[in-house]
Amino acid sequence: MAATTEAPAALKKNYLTALKEALDEEMLRNKLMLCQGEDIGRLGGAFGVTDGLQAKYGEDRVVDMPISEAAIIGSAVGMALNGMTVMAEMQFIDFISCGFDQIVNMMATYHYRTAGEVNIPVVVRGPAGAYGGGALYHSQMNEAWFCNSPGLKVVCPSTPYDAKGMLKAALRDGNPVIFYEIKELYRKREIEEELPAEDYIVPLGKAAVRREGTDVTLVSYGQNVYHCLDAAAELEKQGISAEVIDLRSLVPLDEETIFASIAKTSRVIVVNEAPMTCGFAGEVVARITTKAFHLLDAPPSRVTRMDTPVPWVKPLELHVLPSVEKIVNEAVRLVRF
Amino acid sequence: MSAKSGSATAERAEQGQGSRRPSESLTRDECLELFKQLYLARYFDIRLIKEKKRGRLRGTLYSSHNQEAILVGSLFGLQSTDWISPIHRDMPAFFLKDIRSGWDNDSRIGMTIEEVCCQVWGKEGSPGRARDNWSHIGSKSKKIIHSTSMLAGTIPAAAGVAYADRMQGGNCVVLTYNGEGSTAQGIFHEAINYAAVHKLPVITIIENNHWAYGTPTELESPVEDFADRAKGYGIPGLIADGQDVFDVYDKVMEAVEHARSGKGPAIVECKTFRAYGHGDHDDDRAQKYRPAEEVEKGRSRDPIAVCRKRLIELGHLTGEAATSFMAEGKSAAEATNEDFPPEVVAYLNRGIEAAIASPLPAAEEGAMWVFKENN
Repeated sequence: MAATTEAPAALKKNYLTALKEALDEEMLRNKLMLCQGEDIGRLGGAFGVTDGLQAKYGEDRVVDMPISEAAIIGSAVGMALNGMTVMAEMQFIDFISCGFDQIVNMMATYHYRTAGEVNIPVVVRGPAGAYGGGALYHSQMNEAWFCNSPGLKVVCPSTPYDAKGMLKAALRDGNPVIFYEIKELYRKREIEEELPAEDYIVPLGKAAVRREGTDVTLVSYGQNVYHCLDAAAELEKQGISAEVIDLRSLVPLDEETIFASIAKTSRVIVVNEAPMTCGFAGEVVARITTKAFHLLDAPPSRVTRMDTPVPWVKPLELHVLPSVEKIVNEAVRLVRF
Repeated sequence: MSAKSGSATAERAEQGQGSRRPSESLTRDECLELFKQLYLARYFDIRLIKEKKRGRLRGTLYSSHNQEAILVGSLFGLQSTDWISPIHRDMPAFFLKDIRSGWDNDSRIGMTIEEVCCQVWGKEGSPGRARDNWSHIGSKSKKIIHSTSMLAGTIPAAAGVAYADRMQGGNCVVLTYNGEGSTAQGIFHEAINYAAVHKLPVITIIENNHWAYGTPTELESPVEDFADRAKGYGIPGLIADGQDVFDVYDKVMEAVEHARSGKGPAIVECKTFRAYGHGDHDDDRAQKYRPAEEVEKGRSRDPIAVCRKRLIELGHLTGEAATSFMAEGKSAAEATNEDFPPEVVAYLNRGIEAAIASPLPAAEEGAMWVFKENN
């Protein structure tokens, strides 16, 4: 929308601000909601996602927790059992491994074990992703662990609009949600956008087509969506029309949007930051192969991190991760297949 | 001596000179009720062992034989609205919770004997429709936290329940049951540390039966008294004679009073001894890894006998009643229905009949309730 001289242009907001607004608005509308995590109160969070919330909602509802991820998650389960909604922050999503048992055995299964008597409205969220020199333990995308644990929803927004709408949806969902935020996007200027003034949610389980195309489908989520968009721009110069799908939600997965795109393009590459073996891209490829084989003119393909940890210094890091160049090369190969 | 550590307990101990132990205020009827509940817990255990040996049950039975005083004594003083979190060796806790509101009161905030038996038999009438085995049941409405097989894994949930209760204006306490072996788990530390920071009313009961499956306590912990763990959290660590239902009652009530008054968590270590193997699959091998004399000594103070002696001293059991129903010291193979009060046998029979009559859940249920559906 064009700015006018009468009214100032609506403020564009970054991904981090969008998340903060979501938490603030949900805390306001749900008196039985609580936020807990390491350094989220007085400090306002390592990245500032919860900045100002403790001053507004008090120490009882925005709780600075000991360095105890398992207790942060496990106590959230108990609170949920006793009527509350909890946002549990992992300072880095890498640290979620310290709370792994509480997530996969206690939280994910609670609804199942109780034949539906107990709902666990807990969102475990935290900054994720590589490309920033964070090294092995501040760069992970470990979403596949949780996609393989029935009972958890797993989502990863890539835009400020989705970050806000999906976090609000997650907090109202009633199921435990693992919410991957991309720290490299927190303050990325290029993706800032205006957000609706009114309350809105983005439903979990719906993918978005970020760019339309006819020759090859690039399926991704999180940061790699932007690599795919850049690759699509590059491919266009070579006369190849790429469609880009942002999954947004891994569990549940919007298969229809993927298959509808492949029906147009007949070629598909799935891109994710996680290692290849048993990564989520493999699951998407498996479903395409099983259910949409007849639509394909080339084998479905993956561009993922090599099966390595994420190394620290830049040349090493970029070497093992998906890149625009790797995606372009793979798309060209498929189109010529 | 009850107070092992912690200023609050020391304070109480000082004030407590000359004051009565909580159990001294129990009426004759209450004392006899405690005695009967010990029989109920014991009978449940030996009856299930018999049923299992007859091939009528699936799953593993983790006997609570010889440890019943811990369950009965700790639950007896709770309020209906308090929460508990039992684990695998605590099956009787599910129906003992709030049983003071009436054995036949189906609306009490504890499970009915029918519900518990349906769970053991794997039937539809189980509170969780038999989706996870044996002790892994619970109920939000009955205020029982569901355990997993990961030991000490429910202490953080107990802390969360307590936190949420306090935020909503409640005044409950939460009792968690744990073996001494589970104190070696990292989550034991994380959860109690958190609960202590926030002074949450969470009481960690440690049933020290001296064997963590096949490993003795000296290979589980460098300290003899697990109550000493409390020192690191600045909370009271009490030790109870786990064979004496009155001592367990006293120490747990002390912890409950402490917790309910806003002073925070406590640990109550109950010294006891595991009668059989870790589970019924392990009974034979347990005779090999545990010295016979240790087992004999460990089982020499049957909680029913200890309670009987006290009731006789108090004059609550006299004449023929003092020597009737001599279940103490008898294994499942040795004990018969005649060793138990008939109302105890009838109570469990009622549960078992309900379990047998209850259908198996439909196969399709295996794929249900993975997610809460939002339509």
